[in-house]
Amino acid sequence: MSSSSYSSSPCAACKFLRRKCMPDCIFAPYFPPEEPQKFANVHKIFGASNVSKLLNEVPTFQREDAVNSLAYEAEARLKDPVYGCVGAISVLQRQVITLQRELDATNANLFRYAYNEMPPLRPPPPPPPPAAGQSSGFYYPYQWNDPSDEDNERSSGGNM
Amino acid sequence: MTLKSGTTSACAACKYQRRKCIPECLLAPYFPADQTKVFQNAHKLFGVSNIVKILKSLDPSQHAEAMRSIKYQANVRDKFPVYGCLGVIRQLYYQIQLLEEEFHSVLSQLEMYRQYHHEVPSQLELGMAPPTNGLNFLTAVSDMPVSMQHSYSNSNNIGYCSSYVDSKDHNNNNNNSNSNSNNNNNNNSLWIQHPFLATNNSSSSNSNENNPLMAIQSQLLVSNMQPLVKQHEVVQDYDELHPFFDTIDDRQSFIHSKEPYDSSCEDSAKETTQAIELVPNNELKNAAACFSLTSVH
Repeated sequence: MSSSSYSSSPCAACKFLRRKCMPDCIFAPYFPPEEPQKFANVHKIFGASNVSKLLNEVPTFQREDAVNSLAYEAEARLKDPVYGCVGAISVLQRQVITLQRELDATNANLFRYAYNEMPPLRPPPPPPPPAAGQSSGFYYPYQWNDPSDEDNERSSGGNM
Repeated sequence: MTLKSGTTSACAACKYQRRKCIPECLLAPYFPADQTKVFQNAHKLFGVSNIVKILKSLDPSQHAEAMRSIKYQANVRDKFPVYGCLGVIRQLYYQIQLLEEEFHSVLSQLEMYRQYHHEVPSQLELGMAPPTNGLNFLTAVSDMPVSMQHSYSNSNNIGYCSSYVDSKDHNNNNNNSNSNSNNNNNNNSLWIQHPFLATNNSSSSNSNENNPLMAIQSQLLVSNMQPLVKQHEVVQDYDELHPFFDTIDDRQSFIHSKEPYDSSCEDSAKETTQAIELVPNNELKNAAACFSLTSVH
């Protein structure tokens, strides 16, 4: 597979795909041969052609970030085939909501303490678990749910 | 293409592929015919064969949730072609850090008030005059260091998904993390690494040199995270986060988008987005610098 016209070894993508790594290979800068698993994961989840198309649509200076985000999402999907990286988003969003509630309650407590010199109230109880009627308990920010999905959610009652 | 019976139309997936939509079509329940854009996003990112592969590897009871996450991920990637879901995660992480810092600050003020409340009666007993204005005390307290009160840090362990916890990956990436010294994430945290080192496009890949493993690790108990101010050397590669919050995309505005998959929950999303837009630009760059990728085998 190697060529005498250039000295660099084939990138991880071309090695994986068992093809000649051309000088203008779009994968070469972002999938070095020392990281074979990175491309393997991305290829398994997204496919080389999809990744190639995505990279072509992104400016050159942002391609490394795009590849790294794809690699992250691919690895997350491999570890959690059901939720992938969306699981992390759901958990973080819940944490934001909880923190915001606690902050609001504590601010109110502080205000009461500062101006009324009343003893501070106890911190608010943790939020209740998701209601039984909810599909999965997953919180999707920037929800792009289809209306049909909402009907499926209410009836399926999936779990997290 | 419709079925011979003519009672149901082909799903968006089969329509796109110009094939007959059979009753056993795996994708038909999740890509109705009127949501071609959603399917196109999913097809663009994953491809039909990869989606089917994922579904076939799962129990049928998990298909709905898996498809939901796949569609969400694809739609986010359509909105944010460069960072995708990772950008959303960073955004949330930054938001959490801001909230925690503010929370610690308020807690420390509250603690000061509590102490003051206890001290004043004893001072009165000794014949000492209390301060005349509680507001002055509040002002003085606000000048105290924020790092005083950390009782919150471990008190609210939400049941975080620990799907990504991998002690091997974590150990390998300890060298690159600025905030993994106080490691609380073994059991209850996802792993998204706080210091963003590896994705400095043109600057360096020093973290990758040390750790060829590729992962994103995190401490969701972000009280252990260092303030973002130390990442001043963030290069302009992360300018994308500024338009990320202003335009919410590389090339288009999220807020003004009228994509068919915008839901009725857009208002809540807008609130989150607008709240984040208030963050100064340099802080966004610093926030971006605080996330890093280290490679994993």
